[in-house]
Amino acid sequence: MKLEIGERTLDNGLTIIAVRNAGVYTYAAGLVLDVDMRDEFAEEEGVGNLIGDCLDEGTAHRTGVELAMALDELGGRLLGNASGGTVMSPAKNSTAALVLLREMVFEPAFAEREVKRVRDEVLQEIEIEESDPRQVASLRFQKEVYGAHPFARPARGSAKAVASRGADDLHRFHKKWFAPQGSYLAAGGPAEVETTLDELEAAFSDVDGSVPEHVRPEPPVMTEGGVDIHLPMDREQVHVLLGHPGIRRSNPDFYALSVMDHVLGTGPGFTSRISRRLRDELGLCYSVHAAISSSAGEEPGTFTAYIGTSPEHRQKAIDEFLAEIDRIREEKVTEKELHDVQKYLTGSYVFAFERNTQLARYAVRAKRFDLGFDHIERYPDLIRSVTRDDVQRVAQEYLRPEHLVRVSAGA
Amino acid sequence: MLPNVHEVSLSNGFRALLVERSSLPVVASTIWYTVGSRDERTTETGLSHFLEHMMFKGTDRYAKGEIDLATSLMGGSNNAFTDHDLTAYYFSLAADRWEAALEIEASRMRGCTLDEAEFTAEKSVVLEELAMGDDDPWNSLHQATEAVVFQVHSYHHPIIGWKEDLERLGVGGMRDYYQRNYGPDRAFLVVVGDIDIPKTESHIRELFEGIETTGGERASVLSEPQSSGERRATIRAPGKTTRMAIAIRTCCMGEQDDFNLDVLSCVLSSGQGSRLFREMVLDNQMVTDVSTYNEPRLDPGLFWFAFELLPGVEPQAVEDCLRTELQRVAADGVEESELRRARIQLESSFLFEEETALDSALKIGRWEAQCQGGYRRLAEVETRYAVADNDAMRSVVQNYFSIEGWNVIHSLPTENGES
Repeated sequence: MKLEIGERTLDNGLTIIAVRNAGVYTYAAGLVLDVDMRDEFAEEEGVGNLIGDCLDEGTAHRTGVELAMALDELGGRLLGNASGGTVMSPAKNSTAALVLLREMVFEPAFAEREVKRVRDEVLQEIEIEESDPRQVASLRFQKEVYGAHPFARPARGSAKAVASRGADDLHRFHKKWFAPQGSYLAAGGPAEVETTLDELEAAFSDVDGSVPEHVRPEPPVMTEGGVDIHLPMDREQVHVLLGHPGIRRSNPDFYALSVMDHVLGTGPGFTSRISRRLRDELGLCYSVHAAISSSAGEEPGTFTAYIGTSPEHRQKAIDEFLAEIDRIREEKVTEKELHDVQKYLTGSYVFAFERNTQLARYAVRAKRFDLGFDHIERYPDLIRSVTRDDVQRVAQEYLRPEHLVRVSAGA
Repeated sequence: MLPNVHEVSLSNGFRALLVERSSLPVVASTIWYTVGSRDERTTETGLSHFLEHMMFKGTDRYAKGEIDLATSLMGGSNNAFTDHDLTAYYFSLAADRWEAALEIEASRMRGCTLDEAEFTAEKSVVLEELAMGDDDPWNSLHQATEAVVFQVHSYHHPIIGWKEDLERLGVGGMRDYYQRNYGPDRAFLVVVGDIDIPKTESHIRELFEGIETTGGERASVLSEPQSSGERRATIRAPGKTTRMAIAIRTCCMGEQDDFNLDVLSCVLSSGQGSRLFREMVLDNQMVTDVSTYNEPRLDPGLFWFAFELLPGVEPQAVEDCLRTELQRVAADGVEESELRRARIQLESSFLFEEETALDSALKIGRWEAQCQGGYRRLAEVETRYAVADNDAMRSVVQNYFSIEGWNVIHSLPTENGES
């Protein structure tokens, strides 16, 4: 599979990318700035998330209501986040949609009243999370696995931190970090690549600004083991997470680990060992999975095994997880398992390139992780080159049962 | 809104709707059975959904696990869903191998094994799924609301069924249900993607023409009588948040009022410029969010209002505010600019719903399964929205949203606000 894709770097340091998606009548553009929660100082905790939630609450030129109405006139959708935002619209309205994206991301109003309202909404969301056992388990798991790393805390910040954020904090952080230098703007739609690039350039070439140098954290370290936490809540099910720190996307073993994940815990339907055993054979659950490669990013992700089950099955589920982790470390996967997963991965990846948003996301990832735009063409060979020995080697190197953190919440 | 559909009809009642779309080398194959939780009798609730799970557990041609394995080897994905009015199964596959999906569907149309041991093992999975839903406060509120609105019609029970029915259910009952409801006369296929239409038609004839019919009609269901007054209920959910659902029984899919209610829903709650968002979220700060949803069904469906209240706000205040806003629409109608923006949004939604081959197949299938007149009605969509004018807005509010038809369900925090 080959994409029609092109890029330019503008004088302001913004890299613009266009991907053609012939045959659709829709358009999407996503702006990914060079900022995330790692750039928040302790006294700024949660500010990025709050900025993301407040971006569509009004700009220097329009109130939130006026912005929403302008968007309605285009049949568009606009979504802000802590690193920029995305706009989607019918393809015929792409030029006007980009104007709104630019305004929202680079010229937000952060009016005191709206910031306070959105902050109260975030506080309510936090309260709701605190009564959701799956969220409770997940947040505690992140905390235990990441230790001193910033990912140990939720991106939206603690309730205490969020409650103390005001419009001034948002203005300050936005001014410091929301700049085109080192950032990416990618669009997918039916227009020719050069036409889309011209349009992106016209809309964003006169935005300016650069960002300070980033301070990057030390990677998380494996715990000594023995962390086993249960948080009791009056519910029907219990949500169990097992895991430890994982890998970066740049890790050369990423492809071998993708294959391992699919044999072990993320195959489609019930083809992976864990879903076949825990759901299909033992009927312990509706939802179960395990993976290390899917969370890989600039920072190490996590190896996470998850199951939602009835409380009487908790220990059985953990024992079965551990048995499958041991098995994939101790025995080579079979020829057939390897062959089946390689067939699946090399056949299914085309479905990750159907939507404009998927194409835009791929383009940015290809740049951020230095994969090259031809990665999509090389991917099948990268997967096919993985051997049974590779899978066992990476299982032994990256799955560390002695360091597994166990967290559960619920019944 | 209506793509170029090639229709195939077989002598046993089976039909296929084929759409060629060659922008990417992929195909979505979907099969739709005209049976859902609506068709379940008391004591067999949840059967349609449970049977959907069992359709992956082996047929006379594919052993247990082979359907998933075959899909995976073809580099594709499959899944299914059960709704009130229908059950659908779908595959997304590369264009050079997608026809294996047809072979799987032909095999499981009448040849599903429904092995007893598999049935027992899968029942545990379904009960876990039910428990997962019970822990979700919005899911519980949704189910409670349907149970209040529909007291006679089978929309009363949840799609996943009542726990006690599921626990008692035997494999014999499922086999009987399968025989009664799964056959070529109760199903149709929608295929969208990079296909060769004559070749596909020929393959469909070869695989499905010889399959025997169920020999029966879809069973009729009891109609829901007109409500004689408002209904109210309260449930409790863990946490500290108060939620409220208000549901009103409305019309069938494809009636002009269905389109009118889509437009009204946009005017009321789509985006920050909408009436309820401005009134309840921005100006009065009563709720964190408000959503409305028009859900037409085969039999008269529902119009939903859902609110998540800010701490200290009384549900009655939110209800009063909603009533005032609806009275304004009934009395004064809405602005022409609001109607225009709503129509643009709805038309744009239709474009987004066609972005992938599977999106497009699911849309055509749903219209065919649930709408009087079937998928061809997609051709009318723009015209229908165009005539959803100010009089229509006033009229739907006056006709449906009078107090007699209100069903108000509060989901209040548990006594101790436990978390």
